[in-house]
Amino acid sequence: MRIPPPSSHRSTSPSRFYWTAPYVAVVLFALAMFVLVWILQRHEAEIERNALMRDVQWADQTIQTHFIANERFLAQLARDIAIDEMTAETFQARANQYLANNLELLNIVWIDASGAMRWAAPLDTEDWLPGDVLSPTQGQIARLARELGRAAYGLPYRTSHGTTQMEVVLPVNRGRSPHGFIVAEYSIEGLLRHLVSPWFSEKYYLRLIDGTGETLVANAASPHINPTLSPLIVFDPPGNGLALRVAALNTDTSPSKVLPIVLIVGLSVLVFWSLWALRSHIDSRTRAERERDQLFDVSLDMLCTLTMGGAYRRVNPACERTLGYPSEQLVGHPLYELVHPDDQADMRLALARLADGAACTFEARVRCADGSYKWLVWNANPVPNDQVIYAVAHDITKRKATEEAWRAESAFRKAMEQSVRTGLRATDLHGCVIYANPAFCDLVGYKHDEIIGLRVPFPYWPDEDVPRNMEIMLAGKIPPEGEETRIQRKDGRQVDVQIMISPLIDSAGVQTGWMTAMSDITESKRIRAELEAAQERFVAVLDGLDTAVYVADARTDSILYANRALLANFGAHALGSSTYSLSLPQPERGDYPVDPRHLQHDALPFELFDGELQQALTGRWYHVRERATRWVDGRIVRMVIATDITDRKQVAELNRQQEERLQQTSRLITLGEMASTLAHELNQPLSAIANYSSGCVNRLQSGRYKPEELLSAMQKTSHQADRAGKILRRIRDFVRKSEPRLAAIQLADVVEDALGFAEIDARKYGVRIDNEIPSALPAVHADRIMIEQVVLNLVRNAAEAMHATPGAERVVKVHALLKEQMLEVSVSDRGHGVSAEDRDKLFTAFYTTKPDGMGMGLNICRSIIEFHNGRLWAEDNPGGGCIFRFTLPLEHAFEHHAEPA
Amino acid sequence: MLLNTTQNPPEQTVHIIDDDEALRDSLIWLLETEGHTVATYPSAEDFLLAWSPEMRGCALLDVRMPGMSGLELFEKLLTLHNTLPIIFITGHGDVPMAVTALKKGAIDFIEKPFNDRDMLKLIEQCLSIDREKHSQWRQNAETARRREQLTGREREVLELIVAGRLNKQIADDLGISIKTVEVHRARVMEKMGVASLAELVQLVMAAEVRR
Repeated sequence: MRIPPPSSHRSTSPSRFYWTAPYVAVVLFALAMFVLVWILQRHEAEIERNALMRDVQWADQTIQTHFIANERFLAQLARDIAIDEMTAETFQARANQYLANNLELLNIVWIDASGAMRWAAPLDTEDWLPGDVLSPTQGQIARLARELGRAAYGLPYRTSHGTTQMEVVLPVNRGRSPHGFIVAEYSIEGLLRHLVSPWFSEKYYLRLIDGTGETLVANAASPHINPTLSPLIVFDPPGNGLALRVAALNTDTSPSKVLPIVLIVGLSVLVFWSLWALRSHIDSRTRAERERDQLFDVSLDMLCTLTMGGAYRRVNPACERTLGYPSEQLVGHPLYELVHPDDQADMRLALARLADGAACTFEARVRCADGSYKWLVWNANPVPNDQVIYAVAHDITKRKATEEAWRAESAFRKAMEQSVRTGLRATDLHGCVIYANPAFCDLVGYKHDEIIGLRVPFPYWPDEDVPRNMEIMLAGKIPPEGEETRIQRKDGRQVDVQIMISPLIDSAGVQTGWMTAMSDITESKRIRAELEAAQERFVAVLDGLDTAVYVADARTDSILYANRALLANFGAHALGSSTYSLSLPQPERGDYPVDPRHLQHDALPFELFDGELQQALTGRWYHVRERATRWVDGRIVRMVIATDITDRKQVAELNRQQEERLQQTSRLITLGEMASTLAHELNQPLSAIANYSSGCVNRLQSGRYKPEELLSAMQKTSHQADRAGKILRRIRDFVRKSEPRLAAIQLADVVEDALGFAEIDARKYGVRIDNEIPSALPAVHADRIMIEQVVLNLVRNAAEAMHATPGAERVVKVHALLKEQMLEVSVSDRGHGVSAEDRDKLFTAFYTTKPDGMGMGLNICRSIIEFHNGRLWAEDNPGGGCIFRFTLPLEHAFEHHAEPA
Repeated sequence: MLLNTTQNPPEQTVHIIDDDEALRDSLIWLLETEGHTVATYPSAEDFLLAWSPEMRGCALLDVRMPGMSGLELFEKLLTLHNTLPIIFITGHGDVPMAVTALKKGAIDFIEKPFNDRDMLKLIEQCLSIDREKHSQWRQNAETARRREQLTGREREVLELIVAGRLNKQIADDLGISIKTVEVHRARVMEKMGVASLAELVQLVMAAEVRR
């Protein structure tokens, strides 16, 4: 709801004018008074100045008169001296008398025509002594006086006594001839003291100044003077610029001047203050009125005045807002016109009481402009003298609705508490039961009345649980998920219950007690125990497996279950993490027949994978079976069983590699060394042939030869060529035969060929090979190349074994003998021998005692011999070293066996 | 067969040590055609038995043999202060071994099958080295023999002369008179079989260098 802004400053401009005018008037009045006072004072000052000027003129006149009088007296003296009417005595008498009357003059002397002082008055003057002559300064003045023919004044000067003096010189003429001078001495101080009357001196500040403006004498030290008035009196002609400056002495400011100003200012301030006080008083009154009006206007409550008959007289905007009618429409209409018909009776009753002059309160529904009704509560107060009723109405529609809702809620709760199967009990803070629902009563077997008011310890607590229950009750500490405990029913039966305690908080947020919920869990506890046992069995079985078993969500791949084998092998943190974040052996997504993330429930169960996988990290092999199924919570999961088959796999792999290397090694033995063998073996006969031929050529060339010698050499050459041919043939045979071809072969031939190859190694190791095969032996049934390889391998091993044996003893013996339809061949060496435990491993694959051996040779040899139905083994050589023996079936024995077949 | 000599032994003999009989025989045939005296040995051990410091000529040594190998024999001979120049005969793949031998002082190696011209040239070269070595050895032996004849004092004088001291200084050094030094000096010149001081110094210095 918007409140209209207060219209407080609507009449600001006129009121400001009203308030400004008195202030302006006061200021103007004060200004006028100030001007008046100023004019009066100026007039007074003018009068003072005129008086001063008059006085000064008077003083001027007086001083001038004195100077002229003195000059006349001196001129008289001069004349008298000139005509010799004067004697020293008369001069003395006249001069002294004049000096006594005119105190400004200090002395008078006559200087005669010769320039020497003749007469001086007074007699005791110290300035002049008889016979003194004029000083140069005085001489100058004297000359000036002579030229002028009248009195001449010297410049004032300061004497040694601290006084200031001035001289006047008059020429004395006898007829036309000069007859000396009259010299008179003025005291400057005396001038001021004696020529000016005392009253004048008191009234003014006087200064005698010389031509340069310097003060010679003053009548006061540092006077307060009025600088505006200081006229100058110039003594002309007497002094050279000697003048008197007069200034009026300042008298104290008379109170008559100040008083009017003070009064004017004081009165003005007083007027201002009274104006201000008046204004603030009026302001506060205005504000109070405005506030009252605003209160009426902005009040959220409906305010109105009614006639004693109950009709609206005046309504505030809240009424308009609440009811929706404009105020004009309301005013004049009776109150009950808008009231709901059901409430009109109450309304009339209330109005009747108001008419009697009693205040009253009543609630009524009032129709609004939009047709709806609002609940209003009225507080009305009649003022019979004014024939008016003041009424306040408040909209309580919402409160009414809330009350209704609360009532419904309360009823619902009550029903709920009655019907719920969980026992509910409320206790106050002292442990006294204040509430219990029927379910609780049933649970403990007590009647409702028996329970209410019970105090701890409660009678339904089993005796042995009392201390613990007390603790719980007092501390109020119980886990949020509740606590299991027991109760003893009134009939004595004990029941397992789950209780939950929560604080009972009232609407103000203050705890007033405890609320306890109690439910019977006897049955559920039994079921749970059974489930736990089943679970334990299940886990024990799965954890007992070596096979890793886990269950992963098909969509998110996060692991939901993992057995101990999996946790131990792939990380204890596996649970919850994605299967792809662990190094589990698992197929790539693309290896599944369908993407497990898109499997639907109707396809379950689904065989996802069954195969062998290698774990990238450890290289171990697993047989992995994956199957999509429904998990306990309904989602689709991959259930995976991964069995470590590395060992099994390794054995198979070993067998395969062994097979591969058997072939590889055969090829290495035959082809790998072919080139080297060929080169080595052919070197010998070729070198010999070259030597024989060169020798023959040389001898034939030289002519020194015997034919039989040449013949022998040529025969030897041919023999060596044969030898070379044999070597080549042998190698060719070796290359040609790759398939095992069993045939009757002479062992001696085989051994010879093998030794042909073995010789290369024998030479390398500095080993001699003794071929001790008897020449007459029956043929054996065997593959020639294979047996050759076996012999070669054994002889080579023998030669290598003797690297540490002294040179002379480095002999490999190859021997053969007949033994029970078999031919037994032995290869013996004098090497380091084989220890008993090594001998067992000798024939296993990858076992070797040689630093660069592959460990395949003897293994292959045994394979070959066993292929021939023979046997290969090793034994100690009695003279040191080792003997390898193998047996081969005789050809005729083979035929004998083969024929029946 | 320890020693196989088919001709009147001249001063120098070519010793051939190889386990292949055909090769030995063919080499005898080839070298005797060229007028060399040849001795052959089927194994290193056989050669060691026959060896003496006075042996003259050269040796052709097969690198690879049963029993003691050519290289082992060569090292054994080095310890015996053998002066006989040695050439190695190598088969296929033995070249690195031969190079090792070369570094240890063998004259050269020749790879089988070899060209007879190269072979003969190499043998000629070896024999001339041997001859030079022998004449030096003989000269040294002669110088040494003569020095043996000097008395103790004469030997001292000889050393000081060779060191470039004057007679007067020698007399001072040994505390004897110049006359005596001159007598000793004359004796030394006479016994050493030289006519001048320069000749004496040259003789002694050459022997020192070769020693």
